[in-house]
Amino acid sequence: MFKNVKEIIMEQIKHKDLILRMALFDVKSAYQLHYLGTLWQVLNPAIQIAIYWFVFGLGIRGGDPVDTSVGEIPFFLWMLMGLIPWFFISPSIIQGSNSVYQKVNLVSKMNFPVSLLPTVKIVSNSFNFIILLLLLIFILMIYGFFPTLYLVQLIYYIFCLIAFLFAFTLFSSTLATLIRDFQMLLQSMIRMLLYLSPILWDPLSKKVPDWVSNILQLNPIYYIIEGVRDSFLAREWFFEDPLYLCYFWALTLTFLFIGAGVHLKFRKNFVDYL
Amino acid sequence: MKAKVEFKNVYKTFNMYAKQHEKLLELFSLNKRKERKEFMAVRDVSFKVYEGESIGIVGLNGSGKSTISNMLAQVIPPTKGEIIINGQTSLIAISAGLNNNLTGLENIKLKCMMHGLKDDEIEALTPDIIEFADIGDYIKQPVKNYSSGMRSRLGFSISVHTDPDILVIDEALSVGDSTFAQRSLEKMNEFKKRGKTIFFISHSASQVKSFCEKAIWIHYGELKMFGSSTEVQKEYQAFISSFNKMSSEEKKLYKTKMLGQQINHENQKQVGNVKKSVKISELLTNTFLIGLTLIFGSLIVLGY
Repeated sequence: MFKNVKEIIMEQIKHKDLILRMALFDVKSAYQLHYLGTLWQVLNPAIQIAIYWFVFGLGIRGGDPVDTSVGEIPFFLWMLMGLIPWFFISPSIIQGSNSVYQKVNLVSKMNFPVSLLPTVKIVSNSFNFIILLLLLIFILMIYGFFPTLYLVQLIYYIFCLIAFLFAFTLFSSTLATLIRDFQMLLQSMIRMLLYLSPILWDPLSKKVPDWVSNILQLNPIYYIIEGVRDSFLAREWFFEDPLYLCYFWALTLTFLFIGAGVHLKFRKNFVDYL
Repeated sequence: MKAKVEFKNVYKTFNMYAKQHEKLLELFSLNKRKERKEFMAVRDVSFKVYEGESIGIVGLNGSGKSTISNMLAQVIPPTKGEIIINGQTSLIAISAGLNNNLTGLENIKLKCMMHGLKDDEIEALTPDIIEFADIGDYIKQPVKNYSSGMRSRLGFSISVHTDPDILVIDEALSVGDSTFAQRSLEKMNEFKKRGKTIFFISHSASQVKSFCEKAIWIHYGELKMFGSSTEVQKEYQAFISSFNKMSSEEKKLYKTKMLGQQINHENQKQVGNVKKSVKISELLTNTFLIGLTLIFGSLIVLGY
């Protein structure tokens, strides 16, 4: 029953050095043809943060802070805690899903475990994420939010994030190779998800009816981003909402099991489907 | 002596889809069509190859040579039959699996990495690879700017230096100039001396004759002949010249007849090797997980 999942995970563990080296290589070569090189890795998110803050913070909210259960938080900080995970989630999903299709020609001429390809993309995006996360802790301290014991559960939420990305890209990379339409669908879904997650606006505010925020909670990214905020703002422990925890893991495991199943079923035939 | 490579009654069929959506249905095994059109690219091929032998594979265009070379490299699995391979294979084809956007140097690094070499090993090999490929300063340019000859030289050079046990060369030498072909043949002879097995697919009769002691003639998916390379070449050349003497009408007729034999209108599908019980337990797990997600999800929506 757990054979498929075990096989896939064992492959990752066995080749962990290779994953790390390929990810480093990926980062190095990504911006090679650009004059500003790796500077784009910081410049790109910085430009986006500036425009979102301008439009949503100044424009729509008029500079109002966000009301949370632990008091008012400046919108800029509140948004950063959502955008920084998002800058990791969105490219990981898009590149991870495309990774198999992109490399199948290269890989098919050798004996290489294809299941490593999405993981490589996740790892290569995580370098940037870690740097931005450290930067975020620093910015929070400037604003007077010092780390509390709650920050420990950030490790749990990062684990959730990586588990979800791994499970989802395993599933989606297989599907996107077999059906190219899926990649297109995914790209527009991701664009939509940015607005359906609690990143740029607060679904928990009083203006939004309860049933809307309940439905929005079905989005697993909601769980992760709110969890990240809980850790930084010392709001809540992750076991205080067991139902949501169970839902998130049930969903992630569903993707993992189905993903492992379809991946192993079709990986020998990827070349046939091109 | 132990066989290095063994094919036992190997078949490879490709499904022929009339429409794109049939492919989709097939994917989810929903296709209940009674009639299924299959193209048998390789039919009932069996042979045994021992260590240190080099085998030439000859045949007309589209006769299944590349399908066999892909199966040798374990890129595609056979539909039926068994392939036993003792060792690591490396396939060199014209489209050598290089990444067009990366430079030559980066391609060397990436491919060696994926072959499982360590960083210091790669560093030690890189000068040899560059020298053998003879690309000069272009090594720092993206591969998309390379000529086809340069590309195949680089691909060949990388694959050769990753030290495979079995080398499959699929017409990769035909684009290189004669000096490169000469150098490659020398390298391959060196491989032969070290007891490695080489499969050599080429239209050049002289290269096959001079390099391979044995040859396989594949004719419209079937193994027509397997023997010493001089004999096979003689028969093959005789067929070619008799084929060339036919009028274009006769040629066309012959081709349609032979291709017709390869198309299979069979009703039943090949039974997969997945055991039924495994499938059911997998299905149960998945349904259980989906159910769990739905229950938790609806509780959240209801606001518990």
